[in-house]
Amino acid sequence: MYITLSQSWNIIGGYTGQQNLGHAAFFGLGALSTRYIWLSGIPLPLAFIAGALVATIFGTLIGFPAFRLKGIYFVIGTLVLAEILRIIFDTLLPRAMVLPSKLLANYSLIPRYYVSLVIAILSIATVYVIGRSRLGLEMISIREDEEAAEALGVNTQKYKLVAFLISTFMAGLAGGIYAYYSSAAQPGYLFESVWTFDAVIIVFVGGVGTIIGPIVGSVFFVLLQRLLSLYLPGGIHVAVFGALFIIVVLFLPGGLIELMTKLRKKIPKREWSS
Amino acid sequence: MVKLILEIKGLSKAFGGLVALKDLDISVNEGEIVGLIGPNGSGKTTLFNLISGVLKPDKGEIKFNGKKITDLKPHEVCQRGIARTFQLTKPFFHMTVMQNVMVARMHGSDPVRDWKEAERECERILELIGLGGKNSWIVATFGLVDRKRLEVAKALATKPRLLLLDEMMSGLTPPEMEDAIQLVRTIGSSGITLIIVEHVMKAILEISSRLIVISYGEKIAEGTPQEVIHNQKVIEAYLGE
Repeated sequence: MYITLSQSWNIIGGYTGQQNLGHAAFFGLGALSTRYIWLSGIPLPLAFIAGALVATIFGTLIGFPAFRLKGIYFVIGTLVLAEILRIIFDTLLPRAMVLPSKLLANYSLIPRYYVSLVIAILSIATVYVIGRSRLGLEMISIREDEEAAEALGVNTQKYKLVAFLISTFMAGLAGGIYAYYSSAAQPGYLFESVWTFDAVIIVFVGGVGTIIGPIVGSVFFVLLQRLLSLYLPGGIHVAVFGALFIIVVLFLPGGLIELMTKLRKKIPKREWSS
Repeated sequence: MVKLILEIKGLSKAFGGLVALKDLDISVNEGEIVGLIGPNGSGKTTLFNLISGVLKPDKGEIKFNGKKITDLKPHEVCQRGIARTFQLTKPFFHMTVMQNVMVARMHGSDPVRDWKEAERECERILELIGLGGKNSWIVATFGLVDRKRLEVAKALATKPRLLLLDEMMSGLTPPEMEDAIQLVRTIGSSGITLIIVEHVMKAILEISSRLIVISYGEKIAEGTPQEVIHNQKVIEAYLGE
């Protein structure tokens, strides 16, 4: 799930350079929709797709106005967006959504593991294909210099939106996995900005704009998270991740991937898409 | 027959109270190499930004090939066949040289969709521009000269009919400048119309078929290089009265 979530952010934030801090909104929408659709008796795969589509449709509505904002305004705008949704759903919906007892009785982690593995592999494959395609070139050129890309005839608005939609679809899928995985959830919690920041931290710790980065980052993140929550009082691990994030950004902008490359004593050339 | 490719009428642009361009008329014929000169702050780069759609004029219109382009976005202007280089080069730093040019080749006025074919054409452009053999270099490692070359390569890869070169020679050593002049000639003889902004007088006198001088946003002289450098108004604008 973390791999899918972080890859989805990687597309818009890492490759296209649009730091979307409203990612939790799409994660939450995907989770809520998948949950409701699934529980209404629709087969699970369809529920996943429907949930992701809800996130994408909302992404379309948001994308048009949001990309009129540039730089820091885009960052703040998306952050606020997720907060608005969080408050709305926290107010409107019941406090906790527990799985019906029939499903709860049969709850097993094994299918849940495989479902999230399959979706994670699919999302990695998607990023891999994009990274080697024309769309990948367009996205990275926008990250590198939007004005120059525009001057070369790249419709930057259009490609930012395309990247955004793919990204929101995948975030919706990640939300769907969570909806399927968790036995009980609070609607508001699904929209917590922590989902956004988890994704951002994973991508940065792993390596921004690379395909392996989010995978390495996710494994590292989940292991460390489990370890820390075992030994530290509740909640402190978030602070540790915050500190870790700052350290990585300051001293290792290429993330763990860069560290590994350096350790292998290769030329510290940054790959753009591998 | 001479064909008009660019027609600018009554173009005005002000930034707040500062008038950058005032009621400017310029026409350029197909195949010309027009040098655009003027003291610092006279509005040359503003003019480029207006033509390429980065800025919108307050008044006046720009026609390219007989069609109005004033309301187009930069990428649309480029797709119509006008390319530009930036005075401060704008490479995609963390991409290879080839990827930089590929972005241009796959968009622009005559985009190639096929990856292999686009790559072949980009190789040819890079060869022409003097960057052959550096295809897989990461641009961040480049020095000034190669960055300027890349800037031109990218502009060419969009297959323009009109190319705007913004201070391509500044910062080059004399031998490098010779190369650059040759390059501009080659581009010109391939049928691309050029408008060149340049501070290096020697270079611009040598290449231009016609010079336009602007000062404080107004056109003060126009003609062959010889006519222009002997024009009293031009001498005053540059040296003071």
